[in-house]
Amino acid sequence: MSGMSGASALVASLEAAGVDVMFGIPGGAILPAYDPIFSSSIRHILVRHEQGAGHAATGYAQVTGRVGVCIATSGPGATNLVTPLADAAMDSVPVVAITGQVPTAAIGTDAFQEADIRGITMPFAKHNYLVTDPDDIPRAIAEAFYIASTGRPGPVLVDIAKDALQKMTNFKYPTSVSLKGYQPKDLPDAQGVLDAADLIAHSHKPVFYVGGGVIKAEASRELLELAQLLGAPVVTTLMARGAFPDSHPLHFGMPGMHGTVAAVTALQKADLLITLGARFDDRVTGKLSTFAVNAKVIHADIDPAEIGKNRFADVAVLGDLKHTIAALIPALARALSKNRPDLTPWLQQMNALKASYPLGYDLPKDGALLPQYVIERLGKISGPQTIFAAGVGQHQMWASQFLSFEHPRTWLNSGGLGTMGYAVPAAMGAKVGAPDTTVWAIDGDGCFQMTNQELVTCALNNIPIKVAIINNDSLGMVRQWQTLFYEGRYSNTDLESKRVPNFPMLAEAMGCVGLSCDRPEDVDTTIEKAMSINNQPVVVDFRVHRDAMVWPMVAAGTSNDDIMIARETAPDWDSQEL
Amino acid sequence: MAQHTLEVIVENSPGVLARVAGLFARRAYNIERLSVGPTSNPETSKMDIVVNLDGHALEQVIAQLDKLINVIAIKEILPDSPQPTIHDTQPDYQN
Ligand SMILES: Cc1ncc(C[n+]2csc(CCOP(=O)(O)OP(=O)(O)O)c2C)c(N)n1
Ligand SMILES: [Mg+2]
Repeated sequence: MSGMSGASALVASLEAAGVDVMFGIPGGAILPAYDPIFSSSIRHILVRHEQGAGHAATGYAQVTGRVGVCIATSGPGATNLVTPLADAAMDSVPVVAITGQVPTAAIGTDAFQEADIRGITMPFAKHNYLVTDPDDIPRAIAEAFYIASTGRPGPVLVDIAKDALQKMTNFKYPTSVSLKGYQPKDLPDAQGVLDAADLIAHSHKPVFYVGGGVIKAEASRELLELAQLLGAPVVTTLMARGAFPDSHPLHFGMPGMHGTVAAVTALQKADLLITLGARFDDRVTGKLSTFAVNAKVIHADIDPAEIGKNRFADVAVLGDLKHTIAALIPALARALSKNRPDLTPWLQQMNALKASYPLGYDLPKDGALLPQYVIERLGKISGPQTIFAAGVGQHQMWASQFLSFEHPRTWLNSGGLGTMGYAVPAAMGAKVGAPDTTVWAIDGDGCFQMTNQELVTCALNNIPIKVAIINNDSLGMVRQWQTLFYEGRYSNTDLESKRVPNFPMLAEAMGCVGLSCDRPEDVDTTIEKAMSINNQPVVVDFRVHRDAMVWPMVAAGTSNDDIMIARETAPDWDSQEL
Repeated sequence: MAQHTLEVIVENSPGVLARVAGLFARRAYNIERLSVGPTSNPETSKMDIVVNLDGHALEQVIAQLDKLINVIAIKEILPDSPQPTIHDTQPDYQN
């Protein structure tokens, strides 16, 4: 094909890249692109804020495994994408962002709506482009999709000057992409796999430390087989919930700051961490120098820079985890046939801990509604196929703890950046990617007030998500830290959101159904009512007790050995044989 | 701590110096000396970066540099050896 505008070449390139939906808002610099978008087969969803477009692209990518796409104009449109792109970078989500830029001749002159978005996103984007020649558009788009979706996934931004969109070009989409400085390594080295198998076959207290990489690599089936072959405990990080079934007897929960006693202790007392697509984040390790001090480490990851970044790896296996785990299964079977350590005592210890310290909460005497109870019922009633997207705060931790995850790509949250406001737009993107699946956002009253405007987008575009606001009247997680570390001086954490806004009325005003619930005995019927509405978004204001706290907890900067199961209460280690 | 020189071959594209300098800044690595020059190939340039880093920290710098899409190859010139150690893209440092 030949003789089309750069804008048409952009849209044709997106079509050629297989894009079926994008989220965005037009404006001056990107306006030329919106004309061909009008007649394209790609569905464009007009959001109400660019941050919503970015998180929606992320939510879409996290449930489908495909690249999520967002589009915005120059200046403020582009800077509004910064938070979701930083978020996607921290959680390794494949997202491509297209932004308009002021005309080439105006770049560098502080022109109207000029912002150096390439410079702004340079520190965290996996890569980015500034395109000023229409002939370069197809290659930039092809490379952006390739870079975003291969290796360790991440966000790529393509900033296109307005004149490049307006000028004519001969469109030709590249049939292949090859980049001298970017060659992700998918297949693991045979020697690394053998070394890993050998180390596993000689350890007595191994633990599978499973991170979000397993979900990205679509390696859950392989992981299940590997874990059952060895019969060792499995822990799944916040980003990996659903990578391994919660119901499996080898699963010991989530490690980290609000992890289970069993999962935290499994890592602490292990003699070998079989690390699969995890990155030794400080929220998992606690004080690094006291983390799993007796453990050797196998680190399997696709990103070479993660190896040894926070923790030395005795054996590193670089590659796509699907290939790595698939190769590890026969290698381990062979190694175990020569030497099979008895893991029974180790499993017995872990099972004893799991039995002694299950996740739980005390029912209040005064009949108040507890957030944990609401979330537990949401999980039970909506079932294991449901997709949940959480905000950031206490409700996020309770959701990770009290929902039960059986399948990968059913749990979406902002793990790395901790972005309040993630849930509603991410749920929107998730529902677009999985229209036949129930999608619940579990959001805080604080988070909800950051991005709820996208419910208008949902209502108008037939995206019937459901939102459970865990309304504890406050910035609960911060309040919890004030309770524990600032003598209960509640500086600026009281949101008064049981008074204002009226969430059900706000929901109704945005074209959603608004419900409210403040008694335990009404929880089930309210959830069932919400489940029965499928032609409109639904918002439920669960008005919960404000003093509930997230336990267990490893305080920031302290050792995992100092995990507390309640205020000033450590596990009774003397009664445990470890 | 010994000084190490990294010879970094980069694509000759706009912004590549900012990418490299930004990486050092945000990961809190000090650059002792930096020079950029042409290579025989007009599509690439060579950066000589002198750092005061050793062992693990040096490995991290190289691994992070190598993640930059515009970085094609990194050679480490060891302080006491005239022969450069060649680091391919996506090397396997720990094994
Ligand atoms: C954008 C942003 N601003 C501030 C914070 C700091 N922060 C973390 S949790 C939290 C409170 C969240 O309140 P809410 O949404 O009501 O959730 P809750 O903890 O009460 O469940 C705050 C302010 C953040 N994570 N993100
Ligand atoms: Mg709250």
